[in-house]
Amino acid sequence: MIFFKVIRWIVWKDLLSEIRSRENISSMFFFALIVILIFSFSLSMDQEIAAEIIPGILWIAFSFTGIIGLGKSFLVETQNDCMENLLMAPIPKGAVYIGKLLGNFLFMFIVEIILFPLFIIFFNLDILGQIPMIMLICFLGTLGLSAMGTLLSAMTVQIKAREVMFPLMLLPLVVPVIIGAVEATKGALNGDPLKLYQQWLQLLTVFDIVFLIVSYWLFEFILED
Amino acid sequence: MNKLIQWMRRLEGWFGLATAIFLAVGLYMSLISSPPDYYQGEIVRIMYVHVPFAQTSLLSYLVLFIGSIWYLWKKDSVIDNLSHATAGIGVFFTAGELVTGSIWGKPAWNTWWSWDARMTSALVLLLILVAYLMLRVFMDDRDKEARYAAILAIVGFIDLPIVYFSVEWWRTLHQPLSVSQRGLAISQEILIPLIVMTIGFYLLFTYMVMVRTRMLYLGHLLEAKKGRFLSQAHL
Repeated sequence: MIFFKVIRWIVWKDLLSEIRSRENISSMFFFALIVILIFSFSLSMDQEIAAEIIPGILWIAFSFTGIIGLGKSFLVETQNDCMENLLMAPIPKGAVYIGKLLGNFLFMFIVEIILFPLFIIFFNLDILGQIPMIMLICFLGTLGLSAMGTLLSAMTVQIKAREVMFPLMLLPLVVPVIIGAVEATKGALNGDPLKLYQQWLQLLTVFDIVFLIVSYWLFEFILED
Repeated sequence: MNKLIQWMRRLEGWFGLATAIFLAVGLYMSLISSPPDYYQGEIVRIMYVHVPFAQTSLLSYLVLFIGSIWYLWKKDSVIDNLSHATAGIGVFFTAGELVTGSIWGKPAWNTWWSWDARMTSALVLLLILVAYLMLRVFMDDRDKEARYAAILAIVGFIDLPIVYFSVEWWRTLHQPLSVSQRGLAISQEILIPLIVMTIGFYLLFTYMVMVRTRMLYLGHLLEAKKGRFLSQAHL
């Protein structure tokens, strides 16, 4: 089916150009690393306080990383008139959205996976048993961030004040993702039983589903000309 | 000239007059003739502006949402002017809601601000509206500006209930609204001025939207006449 073919080709194109340039992933990674370092320098904490605020720091780092990566996501398409070609190509526009979304999601997720061991080392965490659950939370949270971010990125590439407008629109809209992800991560890091933070996973899932559907539908209006 | 604009021009004055009457009567009833609240004393009076502010800010976002969907569907640029006007006026009412709420909160809860669901979602709503207005400032192409702004408004509207519930779960300890609900539910002396004020605010909102929509429409018309851009609907 052409729909899935388009998705596959767009993801493939983004991955290939990323592997060749390594521009996005390295800038996202170092930026997130610096955010985490700044936090650990500016807050001196003992173990108890740390458990309270580490999830917050982690998700601040992840969402800032998202701003760097997602904001650039459609920038490559503006070079060499790629955007116009996407517009004119006889392909379903929703597939372009899903393809871009998957690419963005993969970049962010890879950065988070590289970052996480460093995080464990810097903050002396003892959480090896919780890793599958934390991966699940990262998966849901990152999907929500990139679902919203991809839509807004496609909108902001053509604006003058792109760098300012993108976070300004994205951050208020992803408030539920950040709250949900932070609370769920807190539960998982503390080793609480799943029952205590299950509702946050539900919130993340609901947000992801609603925004995937809405953005998929609205994306057609962005690419229309 | 566009039909909707003509209709607005004709009714504008009447709405302005009705607003003045309702607000004058409402302010007299709420500030002078109604008694102080049994529990809260005189500070209950700020509720007579706070509650109408809050309800009007929700109304403005509802109008913005419907206008945005309508625009994406019909591509009517007057409806886009209407949405644009509503967003700016929504900022006014939402900011009024937050400020009056804060002023009431200090004596009643002994804090200016608490992260409860209603306050946080009102704040997020304000941020979305400001982002919406900024997006419109930074765009060059009028058609794209209208389309993108509509998309942002729709996404934001769908986001708000999710924000509301996430904050409610996040801060379940807090239970602020019982006070105001008790204030609302019991006495007719409080309910009637509140209703009059709310109607007054709705009329004020309608009046402001009418004036502002016509201003934006005329501004675009002027630009079109100067030949800076050509839009079918405005010529």
